[in-house]
Amino acid sequence: MTAVICPRCAHETVDHVATSPVPGVWDVLSCGRCFYMWRTTEPERRTRRDAYPESFRLTPEAIAAAQEVPAVPPLRTAR
Amino acid sequence: MAYDDLRGFLDTLEREGQLLRVSDEVLPEPDLAAAANAAGRIGEGAPALWFDNVKGFTDARIVLNVHGSWPNHALALGLPKNTRTRDQVEEFARRWDDFPVTPERREDAPWRENTVEGPDADLFRVLPLFRLNDGDGGFYLDKAAVVSRDPDDPDDFGKQNVGVYRIEVLGPNRLAIQPVPVHDVAIHLRKAEERGEDLPIAITLGNDPVISIVAGMPMAYDESEYAMAGALRGAPAPIATAPLTGFDVPWGSEVVVEGVIEGRERRLEGPFGEFTGHYSGGRRMPVIRVDRISYRTDPIFESLYLGMPWTEIDYLVGPNTCVPVLKQLREEFPEVQAVNAMYTHGLLGIIATRKRYGGFARAVGMRAMTTPHGLGYLKVVIVVDEDVDPFDLRQVMWAVSAKVDPAVDVITIPNLPVVPLDPASSPPGIIAKLLIDATTPVFPDDRGHFGTPVRDLPETGEWVRRLQALRSEELP
Repeated sequence: MTAVICPRCAHETVDHVATSPVPGVWDVLSCGRCFYMWRTTEPERRTRRDAYPESFRLTPEAIAAAQEVPAVPPLRTAR
Repeated sequence: MAYDDLRGFLDTLEREGQLLRVSDEVLPEPDLAAAANAAGRIGEGAPALWFDNVKGFTDARIVLNVHGSWPNHALALGLPKNTRTRDQVEEFARRWDDFPVTPERREDAPWRENTVEGPDADLFRVLPLFRLNDGDGGFYLDKAAVVSRDPDDPDDFGKQNVGVYRIEVLGPNRLAIQPVPVHDVAIHLRKAEERGEDLPIAITLGNDPVISIVAGMPMAYDESEYAMAGALRGAPAPIATAPLTGFDVPWGSEVVVEGVIEGRERRLEGPFGEFTGHYSGGRRMPVIRVDRISYRTDPIFESLYLGMPWTEIDYLVGPNTCVPVLKQLREEFPEVQAVNAMYTHGLLGIIATRKRYGGFARAVGMRAMTTPHGLGYLKVVIVVDEDVDPFDLRQVMWAVSAKVDPAVDVITIPNLPVVPLDPASSPPGIIAKLLIDATTPVFPDDRGHFGTPVRDLPETGEWVRRLQALRSEELP
């Protein structure tokens, strides 16, 4: 079996999150970098890097540049 | 008829022919979301959808599109299922006047039947989670009523908030939440983070149909959604105390998830296909740690598909966004007859009003933009005469086509606030707003040639009733 990579950001560390209550039907996987989560029985456009749409792909640069919403406020100073 | 839980409402929907059970085996993806998407593409009056034969699951019970048509929305309010939309909104506004109705605390909440906590609090063991749209970052909880309190005033019942926020599942006991700065939970989180604390939170899933409505309602910071639920139900809302947080949660929830928003933490979230019909995301959002899950035996997982409008969320939130603007306008301008602000949570609204004097209608339109809800929405306001039904878009288009002089009746105001999710806003959160005055000019504004309008005949109302009666006799 070839190693699974993240369909969205191509990261090579993928975590196993859940498995089907009926054994062997599907697993839920999650990317260790961009946190994309998918079920192994989803269509290829959601599960395979080569079929994953360009417009939804993420690069390490985009992940690093992601804006914080809402911004973490300053701590209140002790009075 | 007030429903104390989701199950009671599903029974009514089924009895009224508004719940469709899909018994064939389906895939969790893409079938569940595609079916709910299709519910919005089969015409008026779509039913709720029930699934209990989902591949890989042994005992999943999933319901979608519970509020996803005007008949279902009417039944949620205890009205006949054929109640006209305008009448549903007017009845909603009338019941609002009964606010506040003190909720009723009960001890025997059915979600006390089962509990998992600590390392056993695994969302995947309790909920048959699934993805909605192709570009979504993961599986979402998008119809949960989320309860939080003001960390500076934790005993204030009114400041306790019940709201719907998009929540992404990041792992068995980790979630990401989107608190938009204008929303109450964002105020609670900011205060907790300023104090250097986590923010306790309770996420309630599978609620009675009125809780889902009030949780999406734009209300004042110190107004209780439970007290509003009581007004809309015509009976006190049943609440119970959540065991870990001590928060007040709906008595009838299917599942109550408790934990904290971890203070000063952010993690990549989304994207998520939003109510605007566009994805938003790729931002770093607050993270929830799940500490305890309480649930009814054989819990029902209620979810909501949203994508290109209209979908369930437009029916669920539409009347909510009409009524506050209607009431806030009427407080100062009793001439206002009706408000239809159902388009994309009120990014566009249509106001019908009588005119006090020349220029009055456009002043009402501008006031709508500065109501609390209008500030973040109402990007486009169309004002029509009192005899135009703003819920009848054929009449609205007639008014725009026949009454508007584009040289003076179309006004653009630059650089006003809007929800950052508005895909046209640039930078996000800033937009120009448009006012279209499609009313008939009145003195001293004596433009145009509107002196001799053709009005409905005085006998037409009686004939409407006769024709409707004749048609109903002919129907099987």
